[in-house]
Amino acid sequence: MLIYSNRLHVRPAALIAGVSLLCSVGTAHAAGVTDQDIINDAQTTADVVGWGIGPRGQRYSPLKTLNTENVAKLVPAWTFSFGGEKQRGQEAQPLVHDGKIFVTASYSRIFAIDAKTGEELWQYDHRLPDGILPCCDVVNRGAALYDNLVIFGTLDAQLVALDRDSGKVVWKEKLDDYKAGYSFTSAPLIVKGKVITGVSGGEFGIVGRVDARDAKTGELIWTRPTVEGHMGYLNGKESGITGELNATWPGDLWKTGGAATWAGGNYDPDTNLIFWGTGNPAPWNAHTRPGDNLYSTSTLAIDPDTGKIVWHYQFTPNDGWDYDGVNETIAFDMDGKKLAAHADRNGFFYILDRSNGKLVNAFPFVKQIDWAKGIDLETGRPIEASARAGDPSKSEDGKKGEVVFVAPSFLGGKNWMPMAYSPDTNLFYVPANEWGMDLWNEPITYKKGAAYLGAGFTIKPLFEDYIGALRAVDPKSGQIVWEYKNDAPLWGGVLATAGGLVFTGTPEGYLKAFDAKTGKELWKFQTGSGVVGCPVTWEMDGEQFVAVPSGWGGAVPLWGGDVAKKVKYLNQGGSLWVFKLPKA
Amino acid sequence: MMSRGLRCFGFGLLLVMAMPVAGDARIPADPLDSAQWETMYRLFLSDHPVVFDDEVKVLIAHTAENSLEVPVMVDASALAGVKRVIVFADFNPIAKILEFEPLQAQARIGFRFKVEQATPVRAAVLTEEGRWHVGGNWLDAAGGGCTLPSVASADPVWTSRLGEIHARLWPRKDHRRLKFSVLHPMDTGLAAGIPAFFIESLEVRDSQGEPIATIRPFEPISENPFFSVDILGRGPVSLSGRDNNGNRFGTALVSPAAH
Repeated sequence: MLIYSNRLHVRPAALIAGVSLLCSVGTAHAAGVTDQDIINDAQTTADVVGWGIGPRGQRYSPLKTLNTENVAKLVPAWTFSFGGEKQRGQEAQPLVHDGKIFVTASYSRIFAIDAKTGEELWQYDHRLPDGILPCCDVVNRGAALYDNLVIFGTLDAQLVALDRDSGKVVWKEKLDDYKAGYSFTSAPLIVKGKVITGVSGGEFGIVGRVDARDAKTGELIWTRPTVEGHMGYLNGKESGITGELNATWPGDLWKTGGAATWAGGNYDPDTNLIFWGTGNPAPWNAHTRPGDNLYSTSTLAIDPDTGKIVWHYQFTPNDGWDYDGVNETIAFDMDGKKLAAHADRNGFFYILDRSNGKLVNAFPFVKQIDWAKGIDLETGRPIEASARAGDPSKSEDGKKGEVVFVAPSFLGGKNWMPMAYSPDTNLFYVPANEWGMDLWNEPITYKKGAAYLGAGFTIKPLFEDYIGALRAVDPKSGQIVWEYKNDAPLWGGVLATAGGLVFTGTPEGYLKAFDAKTGKELWKFQTGSGVVGCPVTWEMDGEQFVAVPSGWGGAVPLWGGDVAKKVKYLNQGGSLWVFKLPKA
Repeated sequence: MMSRGLRCFGFGLLLVMAMPVAGDARIPADPLDSAQWETMYRLFLSDHPVVFDDEVKVLIAHTAENSLEVPVMVDASALAGVKRVIVFADFNPIAKILEFEPLQAQARIGFRFKVEQATPVRAAVLTEEGRWHVGGNWLDAAGGGCTLPSVASADPVWTSRLGEIHARLWPRKDHRRLKFSVLHPMDTGLAAGIPAFFIESLEVRDSQGEPIATIRPFEPISENPFFSVDILGRGPVSLSGRDNNGNRFGTALVSPAAH
């Protein structure tokens, strides 16, 4: 198969890179992380230098020291406490480079840890104002490495670059005004020396944006708003408005149109495109804003050099269910074609042509989808069912529209937690959830810094015995090859390895390993608090390590409705767990 | 000068300093008789010979009225060739209070700091000859100043005026006194649940951008710190600074007060 021949071409270069990295460990002045290190991240097994374990975000490691035969023997090497009194959701993906682990934690904290001993090297606690407005827990999903810097975003919408050796702030830039509801919780993306970020705050009527800065200095290079009508900038000069004013938005609503870019992005070197997702249009009450509301609930393919939107694909036009389109879009190849995959909040799994954004296929990855009957492969648009909550202005008292029950719930068939793709099995491993919601609309007007929803809701499980389901999805057939059911909703990232393994965490506190081909559970370990972080693996001194943050939290306990019953007994935490095989 | 001679650490012992094994003989006896003196020496002063010197004046009250805000004036202007001034409090949980480089200024600085318990407050002055001149006084204190939350930490809108600077120049006979304050919580990181958050550099420059004085405050400097520095030269000056979170702040040119 073509995929394998591609991989064979890549391998020797990857091995050389891996060896040189191993040699650099322990030297006093190790080289900083380069653009080439970031491009090669998926092949270099001695480090994890960026979000997604490779710019495409496949979360696949070619390591096979740890495999289906021996994973049952996996034991902790060490554990590290994030400390503090404020133990909340720990959603980070750790980074590993030059013998150091860099991991972010709740309340905008970041730690540098000796990868061998688990000893802290430094810690930076960002001083947060009381008035921060995070919609969905005080999480952080990770940092980015570039040169000698480790860069992360904060809950008060700042971007902080620290010296990776000392933990001292080298530069800091304000992304936006936290008092208007802006924050940033995802890992920045590094592309060609630029640090790329989005903004959170879609529940507060902010305007989504993707920004690129010089990673070494923090200087703004370009900015691209994600709602039509807003002006973009390149090198301090206007670079054209996004879309066309009032083409898909009525009146002035585009000015507070949401489309938050809160979940980060991936980069595909083949097409030189950044794939960045956008959130729901604001407010939730869709009756106020007839039209498609571009570019909400979309994947945007952005030119990293100019910030131009090269193509877009919108998953839920005129979204009325809070189906953010922010979930990751992952470049992969199938049958010789350059494609991209995306498992949306709205319950459909999309395969796109990643050179132009054309829809190739779309199929459900959850059991029940009420809002649409399917996706028209000709037009690329959903075939809507009648599952929109009623217009409150047409109700008797004008205060509350007709209530509907619709699945998936607004927390989605899948949320931010990134899936993995294995080029060995050609399967995607999707952390899915089965739930629906009662949803109704209410009148709403925009007020700076206040929630801008115009909707009410309660979430309900669809099945007695499970909400979470880790599903192996075949992108060719659209079939679910295997599934693992979990009582509580899944909220952590997935990792696949050449050892035939798939790792993910559960709110019940386990990190689990599954057989990538069959879904058989091969190993689990109780970390003491819910696992909603993203696992990584690397090789050090001839041993393979696996790391995952532990600490229950995120959006589920805050927004979970009836679902809260399944999770309310879970206790909070905050630690990093690192595992390896015992020495023979 | 008599006292300097008596307390001076002889030149002959410089040889001992160069030897790899550190001996207590390098450390002069502490006139303030502090149990922390040897530790302070090792933390801050072991790179040069040390003398206790009455020309290094630390003007301070005997007792701290307010442990969150103890006024201090350090005056080493009687010494020639001052390169750097370090001020520290032996018994503060974070001992170092500030560093000061009087480039085009007199070796004199006034400020306020937080004190945790009774402690010597000392200034060490490095001169061009490569020697630390140390002076100091005991400060009695009821304590707790470093482990209390800042006033700003209870204020939900402290960010709106963060880094605001008020500054004025006052003419003196042979110099000008620059007084300025910066709005900043100066959190020590020792109060529960509040991370360390403090100004770590301040620069005074002339209208050409040439540095006049550099101040490196540390966590014990009081909230909304206030400094007075006696600067040389003429014309307006500017101020700029940065905190440990990377927030930058500054003023446009501060002109001399009308007289």
